[in-house]
Amino acid sequence: MKRNIFFVFVVALLLVLPQFAGARDFFKVGVITSLSGPLATGGNVTKYGYDMWANTVNSHGGIEIQGKKYKVQLFYSDAQSEPSQAASGAERLATQEKVDFVLGPYSSGATLGAAPVLEKYKIPMITGSAESPLIWKQKFYYTFGTIPPVNFTGAGAIKTLAQLKPAPKKAVILGSNDAFSKSTAETFKEASEKAGIKVLKFSIVPQGQDLTPFMSAVKVLRPDFIGFGGHDDELINLVKALHQIDYTPKALLMHYGVTEPAFIEALGKDAEYVFGGSVWTGSLHTKSDILWKDAKSYFEDARKAFGIDVDYTHAGSTAAGIAFQAALQKINAAPPLKMEAREALIKALEDLDITTFYGRVNFATEGQFYHANVGLDPLTIQIQNGKVTLVGPENYAEAKPWYPMKPWKER
Amino acid sequence: MLLLLPQALVDGILIGGVFITIAIGFSLAFGVMHIIDLAVGEWIMLGAFLGFYLTQWTNIEPLLFLPVVFAAFGIIGYFLQPVIFRVISGIKGDPVLMGLVFTFGLALIFKGTGLTIFGFYSHSIPSVFSAGSISIEIGNFYLTIPIMRFVGLAYAIIITIMLQYLLKKSNFGLAVRALAQNREASGLMGINPKKTSSYVYAIYVGISAMTGVLIGSIFSLSAQMGARYTALSFFVVVLAGMGYLAGVPWAAFLLGLIQSFFLIYFNPGYTLIAVFSILYVVLLISPKGLFGRGW
Repeated sequence: MKRNIFFVFVVALLLVLPQFAGARDFFKVGVITSLSGPLATGGNVTKYGYDMWANTVNSHGGIEIQGKKYKVQLFYSDAQSEPSQAASGAERLATQEKVDFVLGPYSSGATLGAAPVLEKYKIPMITGSAESPLIWKQKFYYTFGTIPPVNFTGAGAIKTLAQLKPAPKKAVILGSNDAFSKSTAETFKEASEKAGIKVLKFSIVPQGQDLTPFMSAVKVLRPDFIGFGGHDDELINLVKALHQIDYTPKALLMHYGVTEPAFIEALGKDAEYVFGGSVWTGSLHTKSDILWKDAKSYFEDARKAFGIDVDYTHAGSTAAGIAFQAALQKINAAPPLKMEAREALIKALEDLDITTFYGRVNFATEGQFYHANVGLDPLTIQIQNGKVTLVGPENYAEAKPWYPMKPWKER
Repeated sequence: MLLLLPQALVDGILIGGVFITIAIGFSLAFGVMHIIDLAVGEWIMLGAFLGFYLTQWTNIEPLLFLPVVFAAFGIIGYFLQPVIFRVISGIKGDPVLMGLVFTFGLALIFKGTGLTIFGFYSHSIPSVFSAGSISIEIGNFYLTIPIMRFVGLAYAIIITIMLQYLLKKSNFGLAVRALAQNREASGLMGINPKKTSSYVYAIYVGISAMTGVLIGSIFSLSAQMGARYTALSFFVVVLAGMGYLAGVPWAAFLLGLIQSFFLIYFNPGYTLIAVFSILYVVLLISPKGLFGRGW
């Protein structure tokens, strides 16, 4: 009996001791992203971006704080493409894993699910791949984002289109019914009207909807360009639907997904001429002294690591890790992060203004973009000869935009 | 706007064709074995990937691989059915519920395995039929019939006729119908229930996998595509009447037409609400489906 009591006591002590152990020599970093479900593509790209930061930091020995290097360890939580699951994941990371900070979910919906939970536990989060302005309108104190909101970037692509000759005059704009896609479509609409382009039809459609009948009706309207806010496979399906009904508008504009390698791989020649919005490409001229010297070196390292041509979601996710790294170094905070250190980290992130391989990271501290990165310029890309090519604005352009689109059958 | 009416009708029928292909096998499996197979979308996904890789390796038209895909997955289905039978025929637990849980587990395994093997990116199966369409333009009147969708409709009609023929005109069909009516009694009449069920499940899995190739040619394919098609097939089969095979085409056309008309004439955002409302109203009036012949 006595032996049993002693055994139970030892086990209990072993379980309790780590809680009081205090110091540890690595940062516990929570990662919430959609590794399954309909948004698994973007979710996994985001994970790759976070992994790339963690692996590179650790290969350098860790984050250097007052002369000592602390490695980072990622703790994953699958949001399953559902905001509710993102919230459950945030709860688990905060209460069970007791992470120091969180790298946030792919998709705005999942971010909107996780952010209130992390507010409750006062844990800082930077999302590397959420673009809906709805997030920043909520003014979450503990949530930041490295990709500017779509209403900050989406208008750039419309400006590029408005400068084409002959300028498009009529547009049909639609968006899938989720936080990001809806905002994208609304931005396209607003920017088109500002640029003097008449919006003939504006619709929000259910996610994953077969759009062939809708496009058949659009064909009758003969708009000069079609703008679509959606996610990767929805974009592929829209192009396939247009090809199947044999309708080629003068221009086709999308946003996230065009820069993904799968878009070009799945559509082949049909991907050519499609415009997209972005904030980063592997050919962008950037300079940095944190982990990667420029966009090109990051792009090549990522290609070696994952065998794909990475896009701005991947880069933005890595930049989220870099932002935490720079802020931690600024406040000399060693793990584990206590409440005061986490509060100081928020202040440091608000004051952060660094140049990375991804470009400038500078979070807004007021207004509609509160805590979103406003240090980047919106870029317009187009698929030309099977590559993502910068076509606008003029000071960033690598090539002239191809316009109007060549009919599907003539490719 | 009336000029768009023929287009809305044609699109609705073509969407209905796609729905038939998704739901017909599911209805057969339920009608005979009373299994609500929640892995139907995953069978479609796996078939789509087999079609995708076969096309990539050989550069041959994907629709020519339909018999190969049917045979490959038919064999898998044949050998899997006894496992499902064992699960649903245990002493404990409701058979329908056990089947539901088991196939849900299968769906999760297939999806997870798919994500690991095929990756998370979307793909597309290129078909010569994807490029063409029949267009009629007279003044302001437009009518477009995408060839690929038309092929889908033709495939759906052929599969439906073949299944109907098999069930109504062959000895095998007689055995299947007897099995569906009373498992024990059919066994007493000399029918081997286990073997017949295995054949039926093989046909269902084979048809679903073939449908995957077609779906991958019309839309995109990815490892996470299954859930969408499971939900769609469930809607169609519930509307048709659970297990009532002859009702599937009509239910599919009805759902296709609702979608098409909402997308063209009304607010596309309300398409799903319209589909659910009609489903709800039909089930309220006739819980056994459109024709009152379901399980």
